[in-house]
Amino acid sequence: MQAIQTVTVGSGGASSIEFSSIPGTFTDLKLLVSARTTGTGQTWQLINVLPNGVTANRSQRYLAGLGSGVDNTSGNELQAWGSSASSTSNTFGSVAIYIPNYLSSVAKSLSIDSVTENNATAALQLLTAGFWNDTSAITSLELTLNSGNFAEHSTATLYGILAGSDGTTTVT
Amino acid sequence: MPTPTYIPLQTITLGSAASSVTFASIPQTYRDLVLVAVALGSTTLQGRVRLNSDSGSNYSSVRMSGNGSSSTSASLASQTSGSISTIATATTGGALQVELQIQDYSATDKHKTMLSRADQSATGAEAFAVRWASTSAVTSVQILTSTGNWAVGGTFSLYAIEA
Repeated sequence: MQAIQTVTVGSGGASSIEFSSIPGTFTDLKLLVSARTTGTGQTWQLINVLPNGVTANRSQRYLAGLGSGVDNTSGNELQAWGSSASSTSNTFGSVAIYIPNYLSSVAKSLSIDSVTENNATAALQLLTAGFWNDTSAITSLELTLNSGNFAEHSTATLYGILAGSDGTTTVT
Repeated sequence: MPTPTYIPLQTITLGSAASSVTFASIPQTYRDLVLVAVALGSTTLQGRVRLNSDSGSNYSSVRMSGNGSSSTSASLASQTSGSISTIATATTGGALQVELQIQDYSATDKHKTMLSRADQSATGAEAFAVRWASTSAVTSVQILTSTGNWAVGGTFSLYAIEA
C-alpha cells in the first residue's frame, strides 16, 4: 500500500477535498479521512463521495448505529459521515473507503465505514455498501458537503494498493 | 521508515465458476493477512472461510447486518467453516465485496480471530467477528460458498501485513 496524496485542510476551511489525476498503476484504492465540518445542528454531517466528480448512478445501503438505536437506509447517494461543529471540541470523525478494481470497465463496488466522534450519546457508526454504476476507470475522487466547510486540521489520505500476480484459476 | 503493509501475495481471478478458491503455502513471515474478494454468486449464497482445510466444527461467528430497511444480528457456534457474508446474490448490480482480516495468523499460542466486512449495494452491509478454535499457524485460506458457485470474473486477492 502506497500513499498517493494527503490533503490537510488549512485555516479558513475547505468546501471540498479532491484527489485528481489518480495514477492508473494500482489495483485498489483506500481513502482514510479525519473529518470535522463547520456545520451546526446535529453532531454529524454527511460527506458526498463523488467518483470522477460525478453524482449520477450512485447508490448505497447502510446500517447505522446511532448511540441509541439503529437505522437502515438506501438511496441514490454515496455518503460518508464526519463530526460537525456541534460535536465535542477537537473531535474528528473517521472514514475508511475501500474501492477495489478502480480501473475496471465494469460498475464499481465501494465499502465505506464511518464513525463520528462526540463525547456524548449522539454519535454515528455506519457500515455502507456503495455502488457506482459506471464503467469508467476512476481517475479522481471528490468529497463535498451540502453546506459549510471541512474544518481546519481535517485530513484525507489516498492510498494505492497493488494486488499480487494473478494466480491459476482454482476450481473445486 | 514506513512499515510495509498490504504486501501482495496472490490474486485469483475466476475463469470459470467455482465453489471455492484456495490460497495455499502462505508464508509465515508476516503478522496479519487481509483478503479482498469482489465476486457475484451464481445464486443467492453465503460466503465462508476455512483455514488449513479444517472442516471440523471449530468455527464460530457473530454478525450484524442491514439491508437498507431492517437490521439483524446473529451468532453461530460449532460450524465447519466461518461465516464472512450472508448477502451475495447473482444480481447484475454491484458485486459482493468482502474485506477479511486474519489477525496474528502465524501465532501458535492462540485461537485465530478474523474480522469481515461484506457489502453488496443491492442487498446490504454486514460486519462479522469470526473465531477459528485452533492454535495452528494458518498456512492456507479457502473461501467457499454455502451453495452454488462464485461466478466467472470474481477476483480474490491476498495481502500480508508486517507488524
